[in-house]
Amino acid sequence: MCIEPCRDVVCTFWSILNQGPMTLTITLHTLIVLPMVWIYFDEKKKMERGDIPTE
Amino acid sequence: MEKVSVWSSNRFWRRSATWVTGVSAVLLILLTFDSMAQMKMGTAADLKNKVDKRIPSPTVINYKIDYQLSRARGHEVPIIGGMDANGKSKYEVKEKFFGRDNYSEEEARTLIHKGKLTIQAKNCMDCHTFLGNGAYYAPDLTKAWLDPTWETLAPAYGGKEYAIAAFLQNPPAMAMHERKMPNLGITKDEAKAVVAYLKFMSAIDTNGFPRNFGKIKGAVNAWK
Repeated sequence: MCIEPCRDVVCTFWSILNQGPMTLTITLHTLIVLPMVWIYFDEKKKMERGDIPTE
Repeated sequence: MEKVSVWSSNRFWRRSATWVTGVSAVLLILLTFDSMAQMKMGTAADLKNKVDKRIPSPTVINYKIDYQLSRARGHEVPIIGGMDANGKSKYEVKEKFFGRDNYSEEEARTLIHKGKLTIQAKNCMDCHTFLGNGAYYAPDLTKAWLDPTWETLAPAYGGKEYAIAAFLQNPPAMAMHERKMPNLGITKDEAKAVVAYLKFMSAIDTNGFPRNFGKIKGAVNAWK
C-alpha cells in the first residue's frame, strides 16, 4: 500500500503528512522550491524584456 | 536578446526570501495550532470511550499503567488499563491508588494540581528532570512511576504508591543511590499528591521518551 495508515496518537493533517521524511520533503519542496523556480523564470523574462531598471 | 544573470539579481533573491519567509511563518502558525490540539488534555469520558490522547485525563490514576514497545511506532508507549492484541491501550484494567480506583475527574485533578504545586515548591527540578526539563543531577522522573524498583518494594509497603510516598517523606532513610536525595519535609498529603502527579505523568505519550526506560541497568532499579 502506498499510503500507510496514520500511526500517531492523535491523527491530524500534519501527522498524516509526516509519514516519513519523503512525504514531508515532497510537500515542502512543492510549497517552497517550485514557486522559487517560477520566480526565477519570471525574473529572467522581465530582465530579458528590459522591464527591470539596473540597480 | 540581452544575456542576463538572474542569480546575481537582487530582485530574484529578495522575492525568493520573501516567499520562503512567508511560507515558513504560515507553516509555523499552523504547526502551533496543531501542537496545541495534540497537547489538549483528555477527559474522563475519553478514557471511558477508549479515545487515545497524548495527555490523558487526571482520572488515569484509576487505571493500571504500563510502558510497552510499540512495533508500529518504533518506540515504547504508555499502555493504560491493559494492552489489546494490537498493542494498544484497552482502558479496562483498573488499579487501586491509595486504596481507591474511583477518583472523580475533580478529585483527581485537585490531587494532581497539589502534586504539581508541591513539585514546584520543593524545587524538584533543581536536581531532577520532568518530561526532559530540569537539572541532570538526579534521574528523570517522567516515567518514575514505572521504575521496577517500586515493584520490588511494593509488597513490603502494601502497594507501590505507598512505597514511593514513604520514600518521599524521608528519602535518606530509603537511599538507593550514591547521590542521596535530601529530606525536603514533604508531608504525607503532599507525598500522596506527588505520587498522583508521577502516575499521571507516566501515562503521557512522550513519543518514547525516555527511550528504553526500565531496561537500562543502573539508570533504574539501582538496588539490583
